Amino acid sequence: MEFLANLWNSFAGLFTVTPGWMTFGGWVAAGLTICLFSFLYKDNPFFKVAEHLYLGVGMGWLFQVYLFQTWKPKVYAPLMEGQFSVLIPTLLGLSLVTQFFPRISWISRYGFTFIMGYGSGLVIPMEISTNFLRQIGGSISPFIGATGPWDLFNGALVAFGFICVLFYFFFSVEHKGAVKKASNIGIYFLMLYFGAAFGNTVMGRFSLLYGRFDDLYKYSDASYFYATHVVLGLLVAYFVLDKLVLSKKNGGQEPAH
Amino acid sequence: MILIKKHIPLFICFLVGVLTLGSYYVPNVHSENYLELMNKWENIVAGFAFLLGLMSLFTSHFHKISRKAPGWGYSLFVYVGFLLVVVPAVVSGGKPMIGPDMTSLGWIYRFVFTSLSGTMFAVLAFYIVSTAYRAFRIKSPQAFVLFAAAFIVILGRVPLGQMMWDGLLSWTGYQVTDVIEWLMSVPVVAGRRGIMIGIAIGGIVTALKIIFGIERQYMGKD
Repeated sequence: MEFLANLWNSFAGLFTVTPGWMTFGGWVAAGLTICLFSFLYKDNPFFKVAEHLYLGVGMGWLFQVYLFQTWKPKVYAPLMEGQFSVLIPTLLGLSLVTQFFPRISWISRYGFTFIMGYGSGLVIPMEISTNFLRQIGGSISPFIGATGPWDLFNGALVAFGFICVLFYFFFSVEHKGAVKKASNIGIYFLMLYFGAAFGNTVMGRFSLLYGRFDDLYKYSDASYFYATHVVLGLLVAYFVLDKLVLSKKNGGQEPAH
Repeated sequence: MILIKKHIPLFICFLVGVLTLGSYYVPNVHSENYLELMNKWENIVAGFAFLLGLMSLFTSHFHKISRKAPGWGYSLFVYVGFLLVVVPAVVSGGKPMIGPDMTSLGWIYRFVFTSLSGTMFAVLAFYIVSTAYRAFRIKSPQAFVLFAAAFIVILGRVPLGQMMWDGLLSWTGYQVTDVIEWLMSVPVVAGRRGIMIGIAIGGIVTALKIIFGIERQYMGKD
């Protein structure tokens, strides 16, 4: 037993993060970032390696989250304390895995129906309060607490636009005459929403891009032994070499993908 | 057999759905305890649902490797990536930091996971721009409104846009940030509210159909 404990301690010691590991981390981060960005030039093996690695790392991360935040504290620990009621959700959860065995895959329905039943029961009050009543209340409240004509105008504009959008989604009557006019105005409000949502998404993605460029700049420092420069140079060399080999093989023509 | 295969699962769905719905509108100690218990149970079942997805992914890549399908070598990196996180996580007990010290799990998170996830989504910025070119071809007044809203939101949030506004429209007495704020809190809200109400009605109807067993496609074929 003591031998095993010593073995484990030696193994765990290998995973101690030293300053050298931090520098190496800069190389890893710069390498992975540039490998993924290389797809902007063209599909290549480095991108595919990083892409598959991302899939594995993402699943690994979720696995450890479930392991240390669900299975260990909510299943293993209660079972060790003799709380056998957790066996019910555990069995329901395990029933889902029978999906892999066609002959007994029907057992998975027990787990799925539990999830669907609970989710459906929860979603109804949530939708009614958050997306239904609160939205209607939000359209009425500016008229009650308006502090001036500008507030009143804004409130009226929201209410008017909101009603027009609802007309656009109302298919129980034929869209002609006044209904058609209202639904047409509703389209303009929808377009404003879609445009603003698109703009926000673009800005969100660009802020991530700035973050990545910021990291690449950091790892191009002498303290990281110019990781960004070296990795970028190696990747450019690969592409040049690849191009030269390809042009020799195919007489200057790239193969059609 | 149909009772065990079909009717009992549907009854579980109905019972759990009605009790959860009822517990929300009948607030007392029992309903609160019930909701708390169900929340805990749902967390556990969801954890195993993740396991189902993980096994599916691993099986699919295992088949790719065993059949030596084109690009099978890349599939190995799925397993490498998985172990790259799970082994340090087990060693460090799932803690990215212990006091001020970074654990091996924290190292993986900072240098591998953040780099990969951040870059993967940042790459989309370039594709969004190319999509924008196609989406913003102004063919109708509605398309112009879409373009104008996106243009104001994008340009108004970068220094270049603010400089342009100051140079051309500073005589209005308003800053471009004021215009964005008004846009986001008045006309955009009107459009969003209509959609949210649509989502709410759709969600409620679908949930009722599931509880009463009208919608049962998720159960698969008999």
